[in-house]
Amino acid sequence: MSTLINISQLSWQIENKNILQNINFNVFKGEVIGIIGPNGAGKTSLLRCLTNQGNILSSKNITGNVQLKNRSIFQYSAKEIAQHFALVMQKNETIFALSVQDVMKMGLLPHKSLFSLDSDHDKAQISLALKKVGLSNSLHSHFNQLSGGEQQRVLIARALVQASQILVLDEPTNHLDVYYQHQVLQLVNKLNITVIMTVHDLNLASLYCQRLLLLNHGQLICDGTPKEVLAPEQLSHVFGLPCQQSIDAITGAIQVSFYLKEANEQSDHFTEILDE
Amino acid sequence: MSKISTTLITLSILLVLSAIAAITFGPADIGSSELISCLVGSCQNPIANVVIWQVRIPRVLVALVAGMGLAIAGAILQNTTRNPLADPYLFGIVSGAGLGATIANISLADNLTIALPLAAFLGALFSVIIVVFIAKVLQRMEQLLLAGVAVSFMLASITQFILYFGEPFATNRVIFWLMGSLARVEMSNFYVIAGVLLIAIVTVIALHRQIDALLLGDESAASLGVDVDKLRLLMLGLCAALTATIVAYCGGIGFVGLMIPHIVRQLIGVTTLKLIIGSALIGAIFLIWVDVIARSSLPHAEIPIGIITSALGSIFFLFIMYRSRASM
Repeated sequence: MSTLINISQLSWQIENKNILQNINFNVFKGEVIGIIGPNGAGKTSLLRCLTNQGNILSSKNITGNVQLKNRSIFQYSAKEIAQHFALVMQKNETIFALSVQDVMKMGLLPHKSLFSLDSDHDKAQISLALKKVGLSNSLHSHFNQLSGGEQQRVLIARALVQASQILVLDEPTNHLDVYYQHQVLQLVNKLNITVIMTVHDLNLASLYCQRLLLLNHGQLICDGTPKEVLAPEQLSHVFGLPCQQSIDAITGAIQVSFYLKEANEQSDHFTEILDE
Repeated sequence: MSKISTTLITLSILLVLSAIAAITFGPADIGSSELISCLVGSCQNPIANVVIWQVRIPRVLVALVAGMGLAIAGAILQNTTRNPLADPYLFGIVSGAGLGATIANISLADNLTIALPLAAFLGALFSVIIVVFIAKVLQRMEQLLLAGVAVSFMLASITQFILYFGEPFATNRVIFWLMGSLARVEMSNFYVIAGVLLIAIVTVIALHRQIDALLLGDESAASLGVDVDKLRLLMLGLCAALTATIVAYCGGIGFVGLMIPHIVRQLIGVTTLKLIIGSALIGAIFLIWVDVIARSSLPHAEIPIGIITSALGSIFFLFIMYRSRASM
């Protein structure tokens, strides 16, 4: 597998607080990578550095190297970075009545020059992308009136129109119910492109990612397969709760379950209250 | 033909008809046959010729470009700040122009024809520079609007202080100027406003995709390769220059930039290209007819145009609020 991204010695410090500490890893073509860890572990910060959002890497608080296809990311213009990375962010709110078509056209931006209008090829690309995410009939729907899951799928379709090699998603299953969580992640898995995403739900991460990166306090604690990364001792240490690992009988994926230390005591206490 | 194309063609025809119809209004009694002969260059009556070519046509053309400019400035600001209530007037532009005009009236009363628009323009630019400076210092470009409101009140209080202690005639002149009027415009004013307007329209058409990308948030736009702060600053500068030029010649004309884009979003669409073209056409038609009302509704006097736009604008907004309440 060829290396797409190489990150070495990446650190980010704000007022003596370590946001990221000496992060090193490579991203290979075609991988689906999940970044996991507790709140404030540095997951979203790592995504921002990876894609050099708002030229953040030029900040004096950040040290280290990010290379895209063996060239420093600084050698790429913002437009070129947008041609390589398509981002699906957590917050996508608009108060204006944008149609799905309007949102999809935004994906064309990194490939368009000034004054350019939409061509028939662009329209065909938009239709094809919407078909891939199962929203062919929603071209003229209002984006704000779609469900959370449909909005995520439109944004993934926009990323397809953007025709980037790497899809980056920040908590794509946030605020979605169980059905849409699986629908969105299945879709991402079927696209056959390199995917890097932050995921809160460890079992979803295990089911849909080939490789996981576990972060804690800005440090990369473990990088490997779900079985390696979701080792109970490691997760217990990071999340501060005892946990067990098992294999799902249907999917065969590694699953973890956490429980409170006093769970048994509490359960006895509740039984006593109910008995009374 | 799509619904939007039909709407735009209808509006373009309406604009041409409105401009021609507006030339027939005015205190001088000029018949339609005389009007047509003057327009085609075979005028028998020299007075009618002067009235049409040096008074009415410049006035209608200035109304056309001022309406276009104010509506476009509002549309650009609303899309770049994602705030449907953004208006060039909220950025302190008119307060700045008012302060400039006040200083010119008090200290340069002899050369007002040149000094008044120039001072108003400089005052408007001064206020925008302060607003952008504050937003830069705070490192929060999204707080431009709040900075604008604060600067607006500050400059208005300085203006009122100067007027309170100033000479009554100068105070009167400034107050009338702030109410807005197209009574003293000339053809040269049209050329200046049209020039700035053309630069604004070309720039916005060139960058329409970038501005659209902002509609789904700054983060989303940045991920598509847009330099968000630079784009917003460029657009603010463009709106400031456009509004300052119009205010310098026409005085205060409120609510156009707020009201027209709102109508265009309902009729044509929310993305920048549709919004700009629609705002240009509807803004021009609107101001041409408001000016006709301003100069022909009273027998021997004119109503300042800003009074009419503000009255219509406030009624319009109450209507919108009532309608949205009814649909809830």
